[in-house]
Amino acid sequence: MLETVSSENADSDVIAIRGQDIVASLDDIRKTYYMGALSVEVLHGISLDFYQGDYISIMGPSGCGKSTLMNILGCLDQPTEGRYFLGDQDTSKMEDDELSSIRGARLGFIFQSYNLIQQLNVLENIEMPLFYQGYSEADSHEIAMGLAARVGLDDRVDHKPFELSGGQQQRVAIARALAVDPLIILADEPTGNLDSKSGAEILNLFDELHDQGKTLIMVTHSDEMAERSQRLVRLRDGLVESDDRRNA
Amino acid sequence: MTDATLNSPKTGSRPNRSPNLAKGFNFVRFKKITEVGIKSIYSHGLRSLLTVLGIVIGVAAVIAMLAVSEGASYEAQQQFRDLGASNILVKSVKPAEVEESSRSGFGPPQAIVYGLTTADITTIRNSIPGISNVIASRIVKKNVWNGGLNINTDVVGTSVDYPVSRNYNLKAGRFFSESEMRDHGNVVVLSDEVAQALFPIDNPLGKTIRIDSDYYNIVGIMESEGFSNLGQNQAGSSNSAPSRIFIPFTSSKSRFGETTTRQTAGGVESETVELHEAIIQVEGQDGVIEVGEIIDQILQRRHKDIDYEIEVPLALLRQAEESALRDQIVAGAIAGISLLVGGIGIMNIMLASVTERTREIGIRRALGAKRKDIIMQFLIEAVILSGVGGLIGVVLGIAIPFIISVFWGMTTIVTPLAPILAFSISALIGMIFGIYPSIRAADMDPVEALRHE
Repeated sequence: MLETVSSENADSDVIAIRGQDIVASLDDIRKTYYMGALSVEVLHGISLDFYQGDYISIMGPSGCGKSTLMNILGCLDQPTEGRYFLGDQDTSKMEDDELSSIRGARLGFIFQSYNLIQQLNVLENIEMPLFYQGYSEADSHEIAMGLAARVGLDDRVDHKPFELSGGQQQRVAIARALAVDPLIILADEPTGNLDSKSGAEILNLFDELHDQGKTLIMVTHSDEMAERSQRLVRLRDGLVESDDRRNA
Repeated sequence: MTDATLNSPKTGSRPNRSPNLAKGFNFVRFKKITEVGIKSIYSHGLRSLLTVLGIVIGVAAVIAMLAVSEGASYEAQQQFRDLGASNILVKSVKPAEVEESSRSGFGPPQAIVYGLTTADITTIRNSIPGISNVIASRIVKKNVWNGGLNINTDVVGTSVDYPVSRNYNLKAGRFFSESEMRDHGNVVVLSDEVAQALFPIDNPLGKTIRIDSDYYNIVGIMESEGFSNLGQNQAGSSNSAPSRIFIPFTSSKSRFGETTTRQTAGGVESETVELHEAIIQVEGQDGVIEVGEIIDQILQRRHKDIDYEIEVPLALLRQAEESALRDQIVAGAIAGISLLVGGIGIMNIMLASVTERTREIGIRRALGAKRKDIIMQFLIEAVILSGVGGLIGVVLGIAIPFIISVFWGMTTIVTPLAPILAFSISALIGMIFGIYPSIRAADMDPVEALRHE
């Protein structure tokens, strides 16, 4: 069953129907890049609501603004206009330090190229977001060990990233993204660098997370992957082209 | 929607912990950043070592140079202090022209007359107030015999106050007395060196030695001379005597006469010198330098040739102190330059490290690191680098003076202040030269940094 929700009327009755909380909300987001005298508007007004437990795929041709949108969702970049609520906080006017805090506390990142820190071992990589949140060493250790076990790497906690396969590295990255128990997990082509078997493992892990009620937003190029998500947002030329919801 | 999504987002395996976001200094955090810093420095071992070389050399140089100059100045000050800070030393010196004419002259050798006279001393005593005592000495080089053993040494004919005036203490026995002085007594006080040379086994006290054809009773032995041999040996010989022995001034005058003769390559040379040396003691140290100048004026009026030399230990001490200060300023400047170069080296490598780790900075920023966390991380790394360099430098800087004093016998003094100061400066240098790279790291746009290959 497909349920289409236009981005314009992602309003209270939808929330009421679904009985779910909005975890993130984009309100007429515009982003303009300035290069000297030249200015290019990349996003022309995007409004989207994301619900607790959503598993969303974002697709679109290159240059459609996917990355810009992900950067804004990840609080790595600020919209030029419009408002972005993460939880109950309006992030669009936040200072750099507040953005860092909110990234660290409420967001989990999974990158295409894993982005683990090479000098640190698996456990230390998973612990890193906890460190910036000020968790005690004992707590960080316990949480990180639990997460390493959860992604099936509890026997490799003292390995360095270069000693692991791509699939294993991405699992470490997932564990790291889960460490602070974020509101949203943002995944940017998480299987882009992986063979199909490892990719499938990662997607299975995503399904598990979804089943456990995590909110996942994933940028992907593959229809097959998008199939597994529950809501598909297509972007084109800086606008939402379609926003389809289906029952997983 | 399925029930699963309505469940609590908290999953079973996760312990319910709350983060500690207390403001202010967080030791655990500091420790963790330090650990990461050490790891990153360690992972570039050779590069880090080369980077800190400038700091190592700088710190080692500061400590070693300060130790050497401190030692030298201590030694110099000790020498002048032994001469007595309220003393003025006047010595007879053979004037240059006389020496020339005597060498080129034909015919039988004539005695050269030069130097200080008793009349000079009397004039000085009478015209300058504030002179408490004058100890005039005659110094004649002689062979001194104990049976078959002999030693060539300076025989100093002096007055009873000589040891006191020079801070020169007796080891055993006594110095000769006023009455022995009056009686032209045949008594002698040996320096420790001479005593050991002539009496290697038995106690010389009460025994006799022979000089020329006269026998002298040994009444005392002086302490080892140590530093106090400055200003000795004025008997016209250029060879420094190993040590001295002391007899009453009157005895020297009556036994040896005023004219001394010695063999030279060209034949026989004789010279007549009434006094070889006079120690003029001034009351208090304040006027010593002025009195020295007045003595110079008096002697200039009384002597045709410059056949005397005035040494004011206090003035020399001041000079030594000044030159020690100069040494330390030079040492400080050299050290400062090498620390500066070391600091630039650290800045250079930190900038390289920041560029190299752009991606890491992006990752850390994405995972919640604030700008100040990034600044802290790179700053701590720079301080660790320079601190390690400083530590190696301190070790070297303490070892080098030790080696110098063992192998070259120089006095070196490492004052505790030098290593502490040098190390603190090196850490400070790391901090100062780490600021710019750290700020550059923190100013990176997280998006750009994450995209960096």
